Amino acid sequence: MNVFIEDNAPVIVQGITGHQGMTHTARMLKAGTNIVGGVNPRKAGETLQFEDAEGNTVNVPVFATCQEAKDATGAQASVVFVPPKFAKDAVVEAVEALFEVVVVITEGIPVADSAYFVELALRKGVRIVGPNCPGLLTLPETADSNGVNLGIIPDGIVSRGPLGLVSKSGTLTYQMMEELSDIGFTACLGAGGDPIVGTTLLEALQAFEADPKTKAVMLIGEIGGNAEQDAARWAAEHMTKPIVAYIAGFTAPEGKQMGHAGAIVSGGKGTAQDKKDALEAVGIKVGRTPSAAAELMREVLASQA
Amino acid sequence: MDLYEYQARQLLEEQGIDVPKAVFAQNSHEVAEAAEVIGYPVVIKAQVKIGHRGQAGGVRIAHNRDEAILVAEDILPMTIHGHKVSGVLVTEAKNILHEYYVSISVDRSSRDFDVLATANGGTEVEEVAKQHPESVKRLHISALEDFDLDAATKMAESIGFYHADSNQAAQILLNMWRCFKENDATLVEINPLAKIGDPDDEDSKTLCALDAKISLDNNAAFRHDGWKRFADPIVPDPFEQRAREHNLHYVHLRGEVGVIGNGAGLVMSSLDAVAFAGEDQGTGVKAANFLDIGGGASAQVMSESLEIILSDPQVESVLINVYGGITSCEQVALGILEAIDQLGASKPIVVRFDGNKAAEGLQILADANTPNIHVCKTMGEAAALAARLGAHGKEEQQ
Repeated sequence: MNVFIEDNAPVIVQGITGHQGMTHTARMLKAGTNIVGGVNPRKAGETLQFEDAEGNTVNVPVFATCQEAKDATGAQASVVFVPPKFAKDAVVEAVEALFEVVVVITEGIPVADSAYFVELALRKGVRIVGPNCPGLLTLPETADSNGVNLGIIPDGIVSRGPLGLVSKSGTLTYQMMEELSDIGFTACLGAGGDPIVGTTLLEALQAFEADPKTKAVMLIGEIGGNAEQDAARWAAEHMTKPIVAYIAGFTAPEGKQMGHAGAIVSGGKGTAQDKKDALEAVGIKVGRTPSAAAELMREVLASQA
Repeated sequence: MDLYEYQARQLLEEQGIDVPKAVFAQNSHEVAEAAEVIGYPVVIKAQVKIGHRGQAGGVRIAHNRDEAILVAEDILPMTIHGHKVSGVLVTEAKNILHEYYVSISVDRSSRDFDVLATANGGTEVEEVAKQHPESVKRLHISALEDFDLDAATKMAESIGFYHADSNQAAQILLNMWRCFKENDATLVEINPLAKIGDPDDEDSKTLCALDAKISLDNNAAFRHDGWKRFADPIVPDPFEQRAREHNLHYVHLRGEVGVIGNGAGLVMSSLDAVAFAGEDQGTGVKAANFLDIGGGASAQVMSESLEIILSDPQVESVLINVYGGITSCEQVALGILEAIDQLGASKPIVVRFDGNKAAEGLQILADANTPNIHVCKTMGEAAALAARLGAHGKEEQQ
């Protein structure tokens, strides 16, 4: 078992026939992900054609429902590219079909809808990643297996190595992957920039702590909420592996939403400084820039060797 | 989106929560008319989307027409903590016997909804929580469950509403929950929820929402007709307005370096990098704005973004920091050249590309051979150069 999901896991895509769904299904297949089906009730019965990493044609059948897709293909995960208006129903359907992992890429889902499907998933033991996230990338455990690329994380930046990465931001994830591409990763998880997400920074740390192959974790946070503080508190008591962190938004003004729905300092709470202080208080080093954080990670790894 | 008090009280009233008689007014004539209808004395309250307006002189009492006009003429032109007053709420003055605090909000940590109440209302709940933590009661409502009269009654009893009020308090909590759910709110706060009336007449005592704060979920606007009825009468920052028309995530700041990037995190990180560089260089230069072109931006989006940034007179230099995931650096490069071409812009522009089509994008810029475009290899170098050029431009202007 790799982190979060096993290698070569079969995957379906919800909203596969839309522009985003088509573009990223093609990309994910090129990256070696085992996409075995899609869901769109209005296009059920159709077969879509893509190419895999070797350029061979892949036929991807479209099903009416998640349950049908799962029954027919044995898919273990779903990636959701459904627009905000319809996202709640789509994710609830995926959770009820009991996929192991449901990755929600969609940005702009009302927080009441996210709260609903996240709570449902927690009760049913389904892991949701996102919403408003770049997705989940795992690097293959063995030379003859394929990791999964679930979402929109660019392929080919990194290869297998000892690091775990969890981040609230998409492009900062890619930036950090690039900074540490020579060392490599077990998995990179975009937790998402919304106020309520299915996998928190804390839960990502738990998964990396449980994974024997991950040796250290890079955590990327940003202003808003308490996810970094919650993660720091948990790590202080339970984490045996070193963590290095980077926090974005030290110069963000009070009361202004900085792009992500969750990235807002309100009533003096959720500042980058508070998060940095909370992490440093439990011995987690925090870099001033992404490059500085990457440098700290190199030092941590060197001191362990 | 935060609402003004006069809008928030309207939502509470729609759920049957008692609020004092009040009229929103935007000039002293309207204020005097409203006060006549309500009856003196009246409380005149500045309508701004920021707290602590009372300490800033934004809440005053008026006992007659002359006072009402004077107070209105005082408050209406005010700017409180950087927020222009949009009007005043003229409300009846109530005899307050006790002040409570009640709120319902999204709890990001426990991923549910949080009901918070204390009998020590009237001040900031954070202060109360520090000084009298035992007096603040909290109840979590799961997104899969509902808040019912039983739970509301228990909550009301636990915070120590005097016996006769707890039924009314429970009903108010329940109505607040409906207000929260039906309006896709992220916060519904009543502070103070006041016990008002004649101290000697038990029957006159009742609970009334004297002030309220409501925030709505921007992501839910699609199921509420775009929140049209809460459109802000205050004209927003013209740059923010233009950016909104182009569907760009933009925040206007006070600084010298215009910043454009893709992805909220990377742009925030770029703002920090510019400010750190300004600190290190001893110039105090900062970012002039936050602008996220989003994923997969076209040349046109990039060009519109750069036009907005370059039209801002405080901008002395520009930092364009793109890590191409879905976004193609080729498109970004074309957009940069298009904007420069259209505006004949000569302000220095520092570019850092990485990821998708970075080499192609840099080649396009090199071929154009535009003297004011500077290319840097890393984000750190780019931020440092943009900060230096920003400080230089500022000096020349002075």
